[in-house]
Amino acid sequence: MKKTQHLRTAFFSRRRVPDCPVYDLHGHMGPVYGLHINRESAAQADAVLKRNGVRLLVFCHHAALLCPDIGNAANIVAVRAFPERLRAYCGINPNYPDQIEKDLTSFDRYPDVYVGFKFHASFHAIPITDARYEPAWALADERGLPILLHTWGNDPQCGYTVIRQVAERYHRAPILLGHSCHGAWDEAIRLVKDFPNVYLELCAVMDERGILERFVEELGSTRIVFGTDYPWFSHHYYIGAVLGSGIGDEDCRNIFYRNAKRILGK
Amino acid sequence: MRLKFIDINLAFGQPVRAGYRPAFTAGDVRRVMKQAGIAKALVWHVAQHDLAPADGNRLLAKAIAGASSLWGCWTILPPQTDEVITPDFFRRMKRHGIVALRAFPDYHKFLINRVTFGRFLDEVTERRIPLLLSLEKGGITWPAVYQVMADFPKLTCILCDIGIWGVDRFTWPLLETYPNLYLETSLLALDDGGFESMVARFGARRMVFGTNFPERYPEAGMLSLIRADISRSDKQRIAAANWEVVLNQMRV
Ligand SMILES: [Zn+2]
Repeated sequence: MKKTQHLRTAFFSRRRVPDCPVYDLHGHMGPVYGLHINRESAAQADAVLKRNGVRLLVFCHHAALLCPDIGNAANIVAVRAFPERLRAYCGINPNYPDQIEKDLTSFDRYPDVYVGFKFHASFHAIPITDARYEPAWALADERGLPILLHTWGNDPQCGYTVIRQVAERYHRAPILLGHSCHGAWDEAIRLVKDFPNVYLELCAVMDERGILERFVEELGSTRIVFGTDYPWFSHHYYIGAVLGSGIGDEDCRNIFYRNAKRILGK
Repeated sequence: MRLKFIDINLAFGQPVRAGYRPAFTAGDVRRVMKQAGIAKALVWHVAQHDLAPADGNRLLAKAIAGASSLWGCWTILPPQTDEVITPDFFRRMKRHGIVALRAFPDYHKFLINRVTFGRFLDEVTERRIPLLLSLEKGGITWPAVYQVMADFPKLTCILCDIGIWGVDRFTWPLLETYPNLYLETSLLALDDGGFESMVARFGARRMVFGTNFPERYPEAGMLSLIRADISRSDKQRIAAANWEVVLNQMRV
């Protein structure tokens, strides 16, 4: 079947393309140490999402990842203030097992807030195979909830070797490889081929022209999800990059919304 | 009405480390420009970085000869070693359609400051020739950028590939202090709200559009600018007009 590229024209001529919503499965919120964020608040995020036709942002607040004193309360407050377009990953910091236990015990009080979990093993300097993540893995796997991992190359905390070890253990939870093992593209492709619950996520992948084209060529587009690290990065930058890759409309639709809706059970 | 785009950060040539989709020739570049909707471009050859500036400069001049949609940008080295900067340097620039300069001080192992470049960069400043410095391509570090601007405060300097983590904490103090300093937009376009906050703080005249093709997708930076919440006239300034002003002020 010949691929069409009408979406490219549509997104370049209109701010929102109503029949092609965008689901961003990799976001954050709030200020963060290494950069000035222009739009930190949940209210600003909601306004940007609405204006730009982003149907849903699934995020983990920087405070939930980097400040145990605030923790996941920041996620709950933000989603409950703007429930139409925001959902959160419950942030798991394995340096604080007691807090994990509390967050998991109270997890079911927030079905309107959480869709799954976020592990940022690089921030936390503990590999994703460590036993301290285990209760969160188990809950996600039991219920088929997505886990968004920060992944990078073959980083000892969050690279393809340790990802393979966890993927061999957990078969039900969709494992979203944030940044797709950045740089180790062949191994990322291999993981998707070997494990049906592993997905590639595009944040920072679009730094290098040609990678998305390879992913689609080797894997098709049903295992690739759209993500931006919003509010670090701009939705339209990433939308433009996906369209600029020259993949077809059906692939773009899988990436922009269809795969995300399936993972989120919508 | 569509915006007119001029891309000032575009390279071609066979890179020493092959990327996934390089642009081998000036012809490849022109095809992609046409497809993406980029009217004109300031280009350089990757050998100016990967091999040696003099060889790369020569390859560039040859490749863009007669191409009316392309301007050239040469790479410099310290004048003392006579590798690039010779007494007829500005005459050669003019002859080959070269309108801007680049320097990669870290990668090419020198310092860009008054000790090394005193008289030469004074003349570049006087002639208002833009100097492009890349923060990503092994080009230069932030302390060195601060040093260059402290030594040559009126230099027309365009900071390219400014970094993937929003760098306002580095760039805003420079923009406040040095009126001829500009930001190239390939990575500003990546920042959520990057264009909006720059325009609110400094107006639209301190940014020049660039894509960093072939490493990045031209459509990414273009769509980000098209959808920015700033006025159409500000978008047009950034997309092309600011560069045209810089170019008109330049004398070789
Ligand atoms: Zn992230």
